[in-house]
Amino acid sequence: MGLLQEAIFGLVTGSYIAIAAIGFTLIYGIVNMINFAYGEYLTLGAFIGLVAATALPVPLPVAVLVAMIGGGIVSIVLARGFFTPINDTGPVPMLLTSIGLGIALRNAIRLVGGRSARYFDTETATFRFDAVPSLSIGPIDLLGGFFITSEHLIVIGAAAAVFVAIHGLLTRTDVGIAMRAMGDDESLARVRGIDTQLIRDSVWILAGVLAGLAGVLMAIQTNVSADTGFSHILQILSAAILGGAGSPYGAILGAYVIGLVLAVSTAFLPSSMTGLSSAVAFVILIGVLLVKPSGIAGTEVREA
Amino acid sequence: MSLLSTDGLVKEFGGLRAVDDLSVSVEEGEIVGVMGPNGAGKSTFFNCVSGVIKPDAGTVTLDGADVTGDAPESLAHRGLVRTFQDTRELETMTVRDNVRLAAPDQPGERTLPALLRSGAMQDHEATVRERADELIETFELDHLADEYSSNLSGGQRKLLELARALMLDPEVLMLDEPFAGVNPTLTREIADRIRDLNEKGMTVVVIEHEIETLSELVDRLVVLQQGGLLVEGDPEDVLSDERVIEAYLGGADE
Amino acid sequence: MSALDKLPAGHGDRALLAGVVCLLVGALFAFTPMRAQLPSFLYVFVEVGILFVVYGLLVLGLDLQYGHAGLVNFGHVVFFAVGGYATAMLSAQDSFSGIALGYPWPIGLAVGVLAAAVLGLGLSATSIRLRGDFLAIVTLATAEIFHSVFVNFQGIFGGNVGILGVPRPIAALVADGDTRLVATLFVLGGVTLVTLAAVTRLTEAPYGRVLRAIRADELVTRSLGKSTITYKTQAFVYGAALAGLAGGLFALYNGAVAPGFFTIQVTVTIWIGMLLGGAANHRAVLAGLAIIMGLRLVSRFALDVTPVSGDVFASIRLIVVGMILVAVIRYRPAGIWGNAQELGVDR
Repeated sequence: MGLLQEAIFGLVTGSYIAIAAIGFTLIYGIVNMINFAYGEYLTLGAFIGLVAATALPVPLPVAVLVAMIGGGIVSIVLARGFFTPINDTGPVPMLLTSIGLGIALRNAIRLVGGRSARYFDTETATFRFDAVPSLSIGPIDLLGGFFITSEHLIVIGAAAAVFVAIHGLLTRTDVGIAMRAMGDDESLARVRGIDTQLIRDSVWILAGVLAGLAGVLMAIQTNVSADTGFSHILQILSAAILGGAGSPYGAILGAYVIGLVLAVSTAFLPSSMTGLSSAVAFVILIGVLLVKPSGIAGTEVREA
Repeated sequence: MSLLSTDGLVKEFGGLRAVDDLSVSVEEGEIVGVMGPNGAGKSTFFNCVSGVIKPDAGTVTLDGADVTGDAPESLAHRGLVRTFQDTRELETMTVRDNVRLAAPDQPGERTLPALLRSGAMQDHEATVRERADELIETFELDHLADEYSSNLSGGQRKLLELARALMLDPEVLMLDEPFAGVNPTLTREIADRIRDLNEKGMTVVVIEHEIETLSELVDRLVVLQQGGLLVEGDPEDVLSDERVIEAYLGGADE
Repeated sequence: MSALDKLPAGHGDRALLAGVVCLLVGALFAFTPMRAQLPSFLYVFVEVGILFVVYGLLVLGLDLQYGHAGLVNFGHVVFFAVGGYATAMLSAQDSFSGIALGYPWPIGLAVGVLAAAVLGLGLSATSIRLRGDFLAIVTLATAEIFHSVFVNFQGIFGGNVGILGVPRPIAALVADGDTRLVATLFVLGGVTLVTLAAVTRLTEAPYGRVLRAIRADELVTRSLGKSTITYKTQAFVYGAALAGLAGGLFALYNGAVAPGFFTIQVTVTIWIGMLLGGAANHRAVLAGLAIIMGLRLVSRFALDVTPVSGDVFASIRLIVVGMILVAVIRYRPAGIWGNAQELGVDR
């Protein structure tokens, strides 16, 4: 397979990671916590979408909408139940709480949803571009024929729509502007009369909606099981930190870097070691934290 | 030669010069007061000298050695010890442990003697305990010795911080607002202690807003404004200086 | 009055005594014809007990890092794994997967401890200045990287199968299964107790005072003349070395290592045990770990009397474990036996 094909896969992976990473990084920036249970929000969103699409059944776009609403509700309920009460205990207790909540949620999902992977029943159109000539350097083919499916296009298109919507929200609406102000300096925001709890709640809902969407997109691409979200949480986290924790725009950039690195390293690694591609993403994450802890754009995370 | 001096010290925060070309020197055995309106750069000056932050330019000299940018721990070893404006107690430790911790050169702070409970560690620790208890008693904290320092009042914290600093037997003691939030009786008491220490030969630098107490206490006053040196000299002369009066009146609306 | 009377000499030395006694009893089983017989219902207790004392080494090291020095290491399993793999690769006689060098096991164990310590040194040299939650992420990611390296480099680490044929020194001495288990429990339990004595001495000495001061306020500790980076590095490396020891002992008990023994679940278990018992209190963290691992026993027994499948039961147990972590942090942040004022969570 040519590098071009891998790049398309990377673009697709980057797209759903980007949607999730925006939600993750908004929580980090405004609630000041690393939410390790966020992967489970994706899984829940995917399952909600799946149930809507199969049990009700509703058409896929409606199911996506149901998953987003469901994700938002799940997120705010969990936040109110678990995170808001311990808001001022600091980042480490909040991180630990999210780890505990994640374990509990993951296993509850497994209990209810079973162990097997489930699939969205979608009709796929595949567009082939076999005429592209190969451009080989050693064993690596830089161009080569490639294909793209309607599912790929849906994921990439959805991500683009989310970026536009998030940009509009953060720059044009009162809530979004307040979110940015709070991310910069919470006490200053409070002094200016911003209802910080209201903004926090809005962020939780928004992050849940994004998780619901990302979860369904991930499930359409591959499948959904109890571990779907969890197996992506470190990639989401890497994307967010790479882009500078707390910065939504950085998270988008970081997500595509991660997505492309994952895909390209799959191309370069011997076939018996493709499992290492996720390790490559973590190596990047650690590298970023050590060399430029503030990411591509963001705040200092070193002490003293 | 002076014991402690800065030459052309500069520190910027986001383009704002908190300390701007500041040259100050302190002679051995002196008590020097540092004052100035809010934002004059007093605490930044302290932080640069004590190694908490690195100055952007200029030098700090201690006892003839260039110590610019040295870490706080190495300055403490050289005999320069400071307290903090926002009394930083080790709140999760008792008063006793706060003071004992500061003891220098404890062999029990290394792994092997600690594991083996070496004789050297035990002998040293016995001395440390005695010395710490003496200091705690001197500062009339003995009834609180086993309390966690988070339970102390503001004034008691100032006393504890002073006792803890003295455990290091410093040559230069730098006090950042030792009287802030302390009642008048205790203020006088702390001032007396500082004077005693100075009479025994300790060099002391004090930042303080409480001008009356400060001017009675110190040999010399240094007034900062906008990060630079405004006036220095004998307390009485300084306080009657036009520029100082103006600086303080001008700063009153801050 | 000598200085000795003033120093606390209680728990640590009792643990040392108990540890030595355990080691002697273990040696008695191993080297003499003395035999033990286990009633069949006790098997599972002894098996979980062995795993508990091995994890005990992990939790003692983690508590030195987090409970005392405040270092948030969320990848502790990586040191356990590195210790286990290094020991296994050096000492395994022959393994149909991965590297097996066949050196005597004491060399393997020593290299296991060393490898874990060196990894700890490398990690702390690069990351120890990071803020708590980011240190947690770096350590966690490191553990994941190593996990996928172990899985993917089949020629070296044996992939998912791992490395087999690791010598089992106690099994080599004792043929009879019951006695072997009991001897293993005593020997490994003895090692854990001796370790408990050592960390207790370390933390009751002025050394521990410095660690707790760093946890409270690093800048103040520095301005009192303590080189805090040195102490943080030491605490981190000691914890890593202990985990490496645990990994090596585990490999020598189990006779094999595989990625499945070294998952993030291990890290989670010891973290929950530590927080439940009460960080910064060595005996409390062991007790907390005992409670969490006791849940495994409960679920095993409950499994026998209820008609649901093992999978279902495992899920329920993990839901309970997750909720315990959440509840402890919210309602009892100092753990069951921890000191809230000492941990700064009494606000």
